[in-house]
Amino acid sequence: MTHSLHRTGKINDLKSDYIILAMLAAGINDKYPDAKQKLLRVAEILNQNNPVNIIPKPAWKISPVITATFIDIEMVKNVIQTLIQEDLGVSIVISGLISEIQEAVKETGLKMHTIHLSLGTFGRKELLPSEEILEITTMCGHHCVSPQSVKYYVELIKSGKISVENAAKKLSKPCVCGIFNPTRAIALLNKLSGIFS
Amino acid sequence: MEIKADLCIGCGQCVIICPVQAIKLIDNIAVIDKTLCVECSICKRNADCLVNAIRSRRLKWPRVIRSPFSDVISTHKLTGIPGRGTEEMKTNDVTNRFGVDEIGFSIEIGRPGVGTHLGNIELFTTKLTSIGVNFERESPVSALLIDDSGHIKKDIKEERVLSAIIEFKVPLNKAILVLQAIKQIEKTIDTVFTVGVISQVMKNGAIPILDLLTQQGFSVRPNAKVNIGLGKV
Repeated sequence: MTHSLHRTGKINDLKSDYIILAMLAAGINDKYPDAKQKLLRVAEILNQNNPVNIIPKPAWKISPVITATFIDIEMVKNVIQTLIQEDLGVSIVISGLISEIQEAVKETGLKMHTIHLSLGTFGRKELLPSEEILEITTMCGHHCVSPQSVKYYVELIKSGKISVENAAKKLSKPCVCGIFNPTRAIALLNKLSGIFS
Repeated sequence: MEIKADLCIGCGQCVIICPVQAIKLIDNIAVIDKTLCVECSICKRNADCLVNAIRSRRLKWPRVIRSPFSDVISTHKLTGIPGRGTEEMKTNDVTNRFGVDEIGFSIEIGRPGVGTHLGNIELFTTKLTSIGVNFERESPVSALLIDDSGHIKKDIKEERVLSAIIEFKVPLNKAILVLQAIKQIEKTIDTVFTVGVISQVMKNGAIPILDLLTQQGFSVRPNAKVNIGLGKV
């Protein structure tokens, strides 16, 4: 599940794109009687800190992972501080700019434990869509968002048949993990449709 | 997947939403190219088909293998986790799966969004086996290996999937061999793949693999996944 690792984009765009993932280790701390309650508590904490997307509520009780997306590192810091206070013992992974995460972790008195670095994409890169489209499609790491759907909605925006906000909402629908960032998608769609260049 | 031709009204929504462009309108009827279709079910779940023309089919072996490597809802029997990967570094603060002198790799063939036939797995696994890497046993890809030389079942090689992740670890001093293998395979593979590298962060903040990556000519992206060490046994 490297699904939030290879998001592409410029540093300025990535400054408003963070995913927090919570998980218990199978066969170790997920076996405790209160394990599910702890994971649910993490979901509540994430939900209370204004995520722009979160794994759908019906999945909170059945999914072994809880995920949410934030557009501001300050919100991420708030989540970390609450998690430290509550000491739930659930593993927490933050995806986003290394420099920003490093600073957030330092400010909250923690240290990075393990890092998963992205070396990017290799092989037949000529098969990929344009970089601008990849910035949107890679926000669903399972690649449930198709490049042609991005092009389709850009054309609809240009012809005034859909608002940018609704187009971003439509594009986020196939991503069931709650890690597609609709706010960042709005900014990227604005650029692609020539509203803001 | 299949689309009932007698029901289809040719609106084209499934054509737009298919991540591998396996659906086309022919004479105003949506038709799935069975060779390209990876059985991800995205069309059925998200095309909002007004006439319910998109149907799941009962898949037979070996085609049935496409689903767990493509459909995000499909939970692989081996991992118990929806998706194509494992816990990898997400719980490393509890499991210590990747120790201080070890480097983990995640090579996802077909990502981002191009797809792959499963035969491409062997390009990596046969090479990696000769290096002596330690494959993640819980990975769906490891379940496909049939011998100690890194070969996979013959009858699944032509099956197309959205992506397949090879997860493994090596001692730090063997990481150079993996990086060299990646460079070689990149020249011959017929699709794309992404590479992730996992390392514990030292108490002084150092990441031991970084120097080697630079020496070998690899660029590290500015964004990553970071386990912040809040997990407890």
